[in-house]
Amino acid sequence: MGTQALAEGSGISAGWFGRRGAEAWLLLGPCLFYLATFAIFPLVYSLRLSFTDLTAAVGTGRWVGLKNYSDLLADPQFWNATKNSLIMVASAVTIQVVLGVALAMFFDLQLRGSSIVRGILALPMLITPIVVGVMWRALLNPDWGLINWAIARVGFEPPNWLGSVEMAMKTLVLVDVWQWTPFVVIIVYARLQALPHDVFEAAQIDGAGRISTFRHITLPLLMPAILFAGIFRAVDEFRSFDLIYGLTYGGPARTTTTLSFFSFQNGFQFHNYGYAAAVAYVMLLILVAGTTILLRYVQLRPGHTQ
Amino acid sequence: MKRHIGRVFAYVILIALGIVGVAPFVYLAILSAKRRIEILAQVPPKMVFESATIARTYREVLHSQGMLEFTANSVLVVGLATLVALVIGTPAAYAFSRLPFRGKEGLGGWILSLRFMPPIAVAIPLFLMMKSIGLGDTYLGLILPYVSFSLPLIVWIMVGFFDEVPREIDDAALVDGCSHFGVLWRVMLPIVRPGLATSALFASIFIWNEFLVALYVIDSRDLQTITLGAATLVSAQRPIDWNIAAAVGVVTVIPMLIFSLLVQRYIVRGLTVGAVK
Repeated sequence: MGTQALAEGSGISAGWFGRRGAEAWLLLGPCLFYLATFAIFPLVYSLRLSFTDLTAAVGTGRWVGLKNYSDLLADPQFWNATKNSLIMVASAVTIQVVLGVALAMFFDLQLRGSSIVRGILALPMLITPIVVGVMWRALLNPDWGLINWAIARVGFEPPNWLGSVEMAMKTLVLVDVWQWTPFVVIIVYARLQALPHDVFEAAQIDGAGRISTFRHITLPLLMPAILFAGIFRAVDEFRSFDLIYGLTYGGPARTTTTLSFFSFQNGFQFHNYGYAAAVAYVMLLILVAGTTILLRYVQLRPGHTQ
Repeated sequence: MKRHIGRVFAYVILIALGIVGVAPFVYLAILSAKRRIEILAQVPPKMVFESATIARTYREVLHSQGMLEFTANSVLVVGLATLVALVIGTPAAYAFSRLPFRGKEGLGGWILSLRFMPPIAVAIPLFLMMKSIGLGDTYLGLILPYVSFSLPLIVWIMVGFFDEVPREIDDAALVDGCSHFGVLWRVMLPIVRPGLATSALFASIFIWNEFLVALYVIDSRDLQTITLGAATLVSAQRPIDWNIAAAVGVVTVIPMLIFSLLVQRYIVRGLTVGAVK
């Protein structure tokens, strides 16, 4: 039986060439063409750039093969940036997921006014990290910032949040946690509301305590949402750039220079386009490898995550 | 009694969460209403404000520093890019939701994976592309990349919304001889209006906040978008006047906050598309 017969059977053509097939092509075409031109082509262009020594000064850039990549592997600053990226992703995602699930459970108590607080907590996500950076640089200012004043007021020595090499990465993660934990809360809370209530009632009738209900029933049911939120956060942390630009500018002493920021510095400040492109491609490789492994465990498709 | 204490404790946490969420915004607004010298001298800032000071700071920020112009530029760029992305992305999302065609899974995964692409990986090539076709330092040179950044987002959200519409609705129209375009235009679009609002909201927020590509593409000061303008005014590299910096922050954030409050119910929908069904 050919596709034609199948198509007639289902009433819709499965091929590219029937009337319906042509329609599929017309509906999809502009989007695919657009993405091919302004997303895929730049990516290919970037790969090509990474094999050249193009700088802003030199017009075309000579082909240098894998030189940028071998330079990269020998560059201690590249390894420093890789280390910082991994620290940032691991710590920020862990804190946000744990805190986010805890807060989602807390909001599930349905206290009066909690929907207002959830609305307030959604605000930080919407604003540009540049302004988040300014906000927190003010709050954490060593001379007049509100937070240091409050810490000193209760009798502790306020840390040098942004100025010391020990604290800067922690501060960056802290601010990121402020901005993005609500994302995890919203995803997990929405899933929590969609869970069938009879499961919990049955558990309570069976005499399960709160903690064991959470561990053995709630948590497994929430897992798809937690993984979804965790993966989105991990990818966003990894490519995060604006907050670093706005808060620490990679410093002090490069302790907050992640791969994104390292690539930016090479490209925008030092005009080493080839080298910057190589850094970006290493990032892409890490991203592709990371998400491929993660997606073995979770399926990401809108509307069909379960 | 124990229950009672637990409840009080829970409300204390709730209020604390609200404060943690909103206090940085309030602090920024307060700083923007103070004189430079007051910020350094009054710790914590006193709740006394002079309208003359506020007027002077904001006049400086809006006019002399150009934030008003940057806002207008951003409204133009965000509006056009979002519109184009919706027009291109919605039919594609409809096709992914409804039409069987070869390579659908792969193609869908490919578009969605672009949502995870780090902007830093394409900023330089996009900048070089725009320059070589004569669109460096123009609005169009920004709008073209912004459409492609928004497309995966819009397709992602819209597929979720189309999937929620029962198939019987479009099947009935198809049996009546309607083409898929007809179904999309006359039957589906009115139903998925919340989806259009949600994806427009998220695309707008993303574009409003974007600044890396803008940093590369835009050279002229008078073409800067609001986030790029704000970033250059309050950059972490150089010492700044804090009252001015705070006012710049307030001006950058307020349009988005108002916009999001107006369409608040779509925020949660947009964030949870694909996560919960």
